[in-house]
Amino acid sequence: MSDFVSVDKLTLAYGDTVAVPELSFGIGKGELIALLGPSGCGKTTTMRAIAGLMTPKSGTIRIDGRDVTRLAPSLREVGLVFQSYALFPHLTVFENVAFGLKMRKAPNIRERVMAGLESVGLRDFANRLTPDLSGGQQQRVSLARSLVVEPKVLLLDEPLSNLDARLRLEMQMVLKDIQKKTGVTMIFVTHDQSEALALADRIVLMKDGRIVQSGLAEEMYSAPRSRFAADFFGFENILPGRDGGLLAWRPTAIRLGDGPHEGTIRGMSFGGDYRTYVIDSALGEIKGSVRAGLPAFGEGEKVRFDLPEGEAVRLEAA
Amino acid sequence: MFENKTTGLLLVLPAAVFASVLFLLPVGILLSEGFAGSEGGFSLGAYVEFFSSELNNTVFWRSLRLGLWVMLTSAVIGYAAAFSIVQLSPKSRGRVFALIILPLMISPVARTYAWLVILGRTGLVNQVIVGLGLSEEGLQLLFTETAVFIGLLQLFLPLMIIALISSMENMPRDVVPAARVLGANWFSVFFRVILPLTREGLVVGGTLVFAGSITAYITPAILGGSKVLMLETLLYQRVTVANDYAAASVIAMILVVMSIVTNLLLKRLAKPRNRRA
Amino acid sequence: MKPSSTATGTIIGLTLVFLIGPFIVIILAALTAGNNLAFPPDGLSLKWFIKVFTVESFRISFFISMFLAVFGTLTALIVGVPAAYAIARYDIPGAGAIQLAVSSPLIVPGIIVGLALLRYLVIPTGFTIMAALFLAHAALILPYAVRVVTSSLQNLRVDVEEAALILGCSRLGSFFRVVFPNIRGGILAAFILGFVTSFNQVPVSLFLSGPGVRTLPIDMLAYMETTYDPSVAALACLLAIMSVGIVFLAERFLGFSRYV
Repeated sequence: MSDFVSVDKLTLAYGDTVAVPELSFGIGKGELIALLGPSGCGKTTTMRAIAGLMTPKSGTIRIDGRDVTRLAPSLREVGLVFQSYALFPHLTVFENVAFGLKMRKAPNIRERVMAGLESVGLRDFANRLTPDLSGGQQQRVSLARSLVVEPKVLLLDEPLSNLDARLRLEMQMVLKDIQKKTGVTMIFVTHDQSEALALADRIVLMKDGRIVQSGLAEEMYSAPRSRFAADFFGFENILPGRDGGLLAWRPTAIRLGDGPHEGTIRGMSFGGDYRTYVIDSALGEIKGSVRAGLPAFGEGEKVRFDLPEGEAVRLEAA
Repeated sequence: MFENKTTGLLLVLPAAVFASVLFLLPVGILLSEGFAGSEGGFSLGAYVEFFSSELNNTVFWRSLRLGLWVMLTSAVIGYAAAFSIVQLSPKSRGRVFALIILPLMISPVARTYAWLVILGRTGLVNQVIVGLGLSEEGLQLLFTETAVFIGLLQLFLPLMIIALISSMENMPRDVVPAARVLGANWFSVFFRVILPLTREGLVVGGTLVFAGSITAYITPAILGGSKVLMLETLLYQRVTVANDYAAASVIAMILVVMSIVTNLLLKRLAKPRNRRA
Repeated sequence: MKPSSTATGTIIGLTLVFLIGPFIVIILAALTAGNNLAFPPDGLSLKWFIKVFTVESFRISFFISMFLAVFGTLTALIVGVPAAYAIARYDIPGAGAIQLAVSSPLIVPGIIVGLALLRYLVIPTGFTIMAALFLAHAALILPYAVRVVTSSLQNLRVDVEEAALILGCSRLGSFFRVVFPNIRGGILAAFILGFVTSFNQVPVSLFLSGPGVRTLPIDMLAYMETTYDPSVAALACLLAIMSVGIVFLAERFLGFSRYV
């Protein structure tokens, strides 16, 4: 196999509770992929197994052709940016970043640490203690600490979820930039589809320890195959089609004001560009969005609507 | 949490073995000795004999009685003190709290010895009594149950106050003013609001004080002497004076049972509190 | 709608007088220039404080108590820190029974332990009293050490250690480079608590005393039985000052109370 990281029939368990049964997937060199799924889907467990923080029940994990399944974390040449950042509270920013290099007895530690700090824009913070830094700064220290040792794979646990909107965009750019400059293979874990879409080349969607669907980000967004995937990527209206199959529409695909169906407006939420209405109808609850510029419907008002079949995504049954 | 159970076990085992071999094993043998008959075999003779002695009975009931009195008195004083301390500003509250804890760090021998000076025949209290003309030559205060009671109260009151303070700090804010606004007098505020909300602290404090009092050695030894024996001073006396290990074993059993019961009680009470935190 | 501050002030004042007052009485009594223990003191002098240092048995028992407190606590920490680490970080089989065993010295009254050790260890095996005292004190301090260090470990996130492992540390290496520097305060607090507990301990040491081997508090009790002079008062003051001083410094530089 040509995969740089390959996970083969990996089974992970906490005691007798199997969290991930026989999971297999592969990642190409230099790829940035997202393990996406709701909490408890096994994504973090899988990442911890790749890092070596969890011993699999069975299966193999290979990195760059080497079987690392039972290898100590220290020998795997991976980096991990924890969700909590996990900085050493008793060390300065410099000492945190230098930690891995010291363990490896690497030469030129000073220059490499400073270059690492430079790349995340924290050169001037070298002598600060880490608890004094903001959350965003701590995350960048953690990133630099993982990167200076030049890992083969960089793992990131929910890298954007603790950041506010502005910092999130900034961190996205930093990560994309790192991918471009270093070519490191990156795997990040998230429960947020928008994070996965914004950052990943490829998305692996998981549920109950199994892969539901995986593919390029755009493909996942526009063509979910199952009910779960459709729901996860914002297809909020899922109805049986005439042939018995399932059809899914995003709220924006529903046409309001005219059409063969009728319903009553139950509520509205304003989302900036769009108003999204919740409509009670004979088909069940329908969510439809209308551009904010257009005239609004009132609560309790009767409204006609259309579910254009051309806009629907056809799901595999189940 | 790390996975490797063997490593965890290996790390904790030396401590468990150390404590068991030094504490549990010898104590187990000592306790079992109380059930040995004079010609071997199982016998409750030691227990029957122990409780047939009037002195032993007196000491047993005195220990329970004093423990109960110290517990009740410290609860009354403890509520007044803890409630007053909680009203203070955070800064002075910290200072008073430090002063309450302070005695706990000081040698109990030193703490108890001070009462000799205060309660002695020519001590502070008797000087006042004689000075006021209430008595010609002062009262016998030392080596009485009262002296032991006072000593124990001073020794263990801080535990009750600490337990009640932490319980009161966990009370929802402003319930007391709310009850007052609703027309409750201080009497009903205490019995309908404060007491139910601090019941847990009261039981924790009470158990610590009771257990501490009945298993005390230093205070009855210094302030009670051989006139006012309690369980531990009786045990010491039985062994050193009479070499009576059967009696010692019975007293040991009483002490251990009391201690286990109080600890179970505490554990049960401490659990829901942790869950909430 | 607050209780009157005169009332609460009076209650606090009286409570403190009852709890702290005796110390002031004993300090003044010890400063007497007379030959009897009395309050108010019969003139002021430091002679009884000086006399304390000339009593040979006090000197010996002071060093014995010091030795037990320092080395007993160190031993308890050497055994207790790994145990605390296991309790905080591992899912140990039979955790309940093990914790019970470790905390047994808190549950079993000390006087019984002292008697049991004398009867079943010292007398039949020829173990010295000093050795038995040392082991008993170490075991007595163990639960305190385990408790304080465990809570200190629980405040340190596990993923900090995991980060060290991933960055190339061994398990042992991560303990010394990452865990230890972060629980130093807790270990120091455990040491102080253990020291004070051991130094003030009476019941365990009661039966474990022999010719020339007595802890200081036991020696004071023995001295009191024969002599009614203010030197024990002076010694009690010195011990109180020592304990308060240690705790004050620990609170000042360590925030001791948050560990206990």
